[in-house]
Amino acid sequence: MENLDYARLQMAFTLGFHIIFACIGMVMPFFMVVSHHKWLKTRNPIYLKLTKAWLKGVAIFFATGAVSGTALSFELGMLWPEFMKHAGPIFGMPFSLEGAAFFVEAIALGFYLYGWKKLPEKFHWFTGIIVGIAGVASGILVVSANGWMNAPSGFDYINGEFLNIDPVQALLNPAWFTQALHMTLAAFVATSFAVAGVHALQIFRGKNIELHTKAFKIAIVFGAVAAFLQPLSGDLSAKDVAGRQPVKLAAMEAHYETQKGAPLYIGGIVDEEKREVSHKIEIPGALSFLAFGDFDAEVKGLNDFPDDELPPVAIVHYAFQLMVGLGTLLMLAGLVYFISLKKKHWLKSRKYWLLFIITAPMGFIALEAGWVVTEVGRQPWIIHQVMRTEDAVTPMPGMKYSFFFYLFLYIILGITVTWLMNRQMKALNKEE
Amino acid sequence: MLYIVLFFLLFSLLLYVLLGGADFGAGIVELFSSRKNRKVTRDTIYRVMGPVWEANHIWLIILLVILWVGFPAYFNVMMIYLHIPLILVLLGITIRGVAFVFRHYDAVVDSSQIWYNRLFRIGSLVTPVFLGMSFASLISGKIIITDDYTNYGFYDLFMEPWLHLFGLLIGLFYAALCAFLAANYLIAETEGEVRKLYRKKSALYTVVLVVLGSVLLIYGYFAGFIFIEDFIHNPISLISVGISGLLLIPLWRSIKSGSKIWSRYLAGLQAVLVMFAAIIAHFPYIIITAEKELSLLENLAPEATINNLALMLLIGGLVILPGLFHLMKSFNMIKILNKSNPN
Repeated sequence: MENLDYARLQMAFTLGFHIIFACIGMVMPFFMVVSHHKWLKTRNPIYLKLTKAWLKGVAIFFATGAVSGTALSFELGMLWPEFMKHAGPIFGMPFSLEGAAFFVEAIALGFYLYGWKKLPEKFHWFTGIIVGIAGVASGILVVSANGWMNAPSGFDYINGEFLNIDPVQALLNPAWFTQALHMTLAAFVATSFAVAGVHALQIFRGKNIELHTKAFKIAIVFGAVAAFLQPLSGDLSAKDVAGRQPVKLAAMEAHYETQKGAPLYIGGIVDEEKREVSHKIEIPGALSFLAFGDFDAEVKGLNDFPDDELPPVAIVHYAFQLMVGLGTLLMLAGLVYFISLKKKHWLKSRKYWLLFIITAPMGFIALEAGWVVTEVGRQPWIIHQVMRTEDAVTPMPGMKYSFFFYLFLYIILGITVTWLMNRQMKALNKEE
Repeated sequence: MLYIVLFFLLFSLLLYVLLGGADFGAGIVELFSSRKNRKVTRDTIYRVMGPVWEANHIWLIILLVILWVGFPAYFNVMMIYLHIPLILVLLGITIRGVAFVFRHYDAVVDSSQIWYNRLFRIGSLVTPVFLGMSFASLISGKIIITDDYTNYGFYDLFMEPWLHLFGLLIGLFYAALCAFLAANYLIAETEGEVRKLYRKKSALYTVVLVVLGSVLLIYGYFAGFIFIEDFIHNPISLISVGISGLLLIPLWRSIKSGSKIWSRYLAGLQAVLVMFAAIIAHFPYIIITAEKELSLLENLAPEATINNLALMLLIGGLVILPGLFHLMKSFNMIKILNKSNPN
């Protein structure tokens, strides 16, 4: 593998790592303030205990997200100096706003973490809400910057130069809304199912059932609702990609031949050499309908794009299938939760809790797969149709070592955080 | 509008050096304390810095974003040729950041605390040293900017610019500055015996700082570093350092008398003056390479970008600064309340 491949692997790995912590730091504050609100309303000490337990989790995740985010803002420049040299002045606006939002989040978190019994109760609770809102705003802004890479706008590219720069237009690029919507919902789905799953595991083991049931109920609602909204947002995204990045859509579907009334493939094994897909289930006309809202519309296939502009098809196709498949399962799990609101006896069944233990990691796997679709699907471009990734990479050799260094550091960090969460849980159960 | 951007660039640099630096310094003070005093320092740091430490370090991100949006060519040079020292800085930031949170938020207090403490303290020392070395490489005259990477060895391009005695001295000087700030800051946060301890520490780090600063200037001058020569010949820099030197007298007195407020502000002011002297000595040519000097003001981002950035910074500043001020003020007031009511 070359320097470029290692640089890409490092970027993918560090982003993939950061995204998990960023999502948890963005969504968990909402669970925390709901529980805090219930404590203020009912004065049931279980809610206070739960709030404080979640709060410790948020502090740990936020700090890990903050340091890995700091590393990323350096990495953008360290790995892709040529990209940042030209892109920085154009898509800097979401980052400067994000810096402000992140700052607000850190300030509010300072109030919230250290304000117990020291600040007026309502104000203290309110700072928790600010943490959540500022976190979501940060997420949206960063995704908008990514949207610009998929849908570059706010400049004219003439003879290799970036002229007539308009930062506002770059911020409001054509992809920002669909991407930000899809990602925000995904963050809620992934975090909710992960948190609910962790508490379901405790209930399954028969530990501190009252507290964990309350925790489960608060967490799962967000995820179940978001899981139902996600397909709608996914449909918007698909139509958007079909219009702007037809080659990415074709790769998602491993769609080689241009045709009218194109079928949708479910599953299938991609042979990139022979350019065909075997072992798939075909739904006639469905791809045309999903992409353009018309069963007979023509969908351009990969064979009609220049060879040197094709992304790695198999990876993108499999990742897309994985994302959609897991998303569908999570929607069904959400449905089970909604039905259990009526059929309360389900909560006594061990199978019910087992289901939510199984779904716990699915949201994050789907979310990571979704980012693989977005990022690998854009290759070989770093700025779609403007700059190639190979032209952006750092001239410094030896990225291999840098990659393994980050891999080692973040794996240790990931293990430590997981271990800490386990200790939190044990301590929480022991106090009872 | 460019001036607004420059103002925020210097402002966030200054705040990062002062607040983030005091944060690093607290870890350094803890590292070089006796076993008994470490515990005291650990608790004081948590109480004083806990609410603000995340905010302190966001100034670095703001600084970085201003650089890449407004000064892309400059940022480009830093990111290519400072790759290795910056990785080391990031390693330090990551380790001490998570260790700080782990040691205070781990639900179980057991022997793993030893590791959190170790990593926090060591991270607190090496991070400012590597930050200093990164800055040093910008002004060392050793960076070779080229498009032809086959002509040079890896060591010449990516190691030589930062790995030298001058860089190490600047790194150590910055670390000492951090410890100096932290010790003076902590005087006002403590009472009785503990305060005596920090008064001693303040005196110690003041001496270390002055000695290191002198060694740095003398070595830099005789080793022929352009930056140091220009620093010594720049009247404004000299006046700043001179005032900073004169301020040592009242600082020393206030440390001896244990004044709550003065040592903190005097130390802060001295750090600002030293920073100002260093920046103004060569402004705007802050990158000195083997062949030429690069101006911060050349190859700026287009005007539309600068205007937009200035506006965003103003809006951001309006939102952040009152909040930050309120945060610091709230927890200061709380401390006073706590004193009157120990529970």
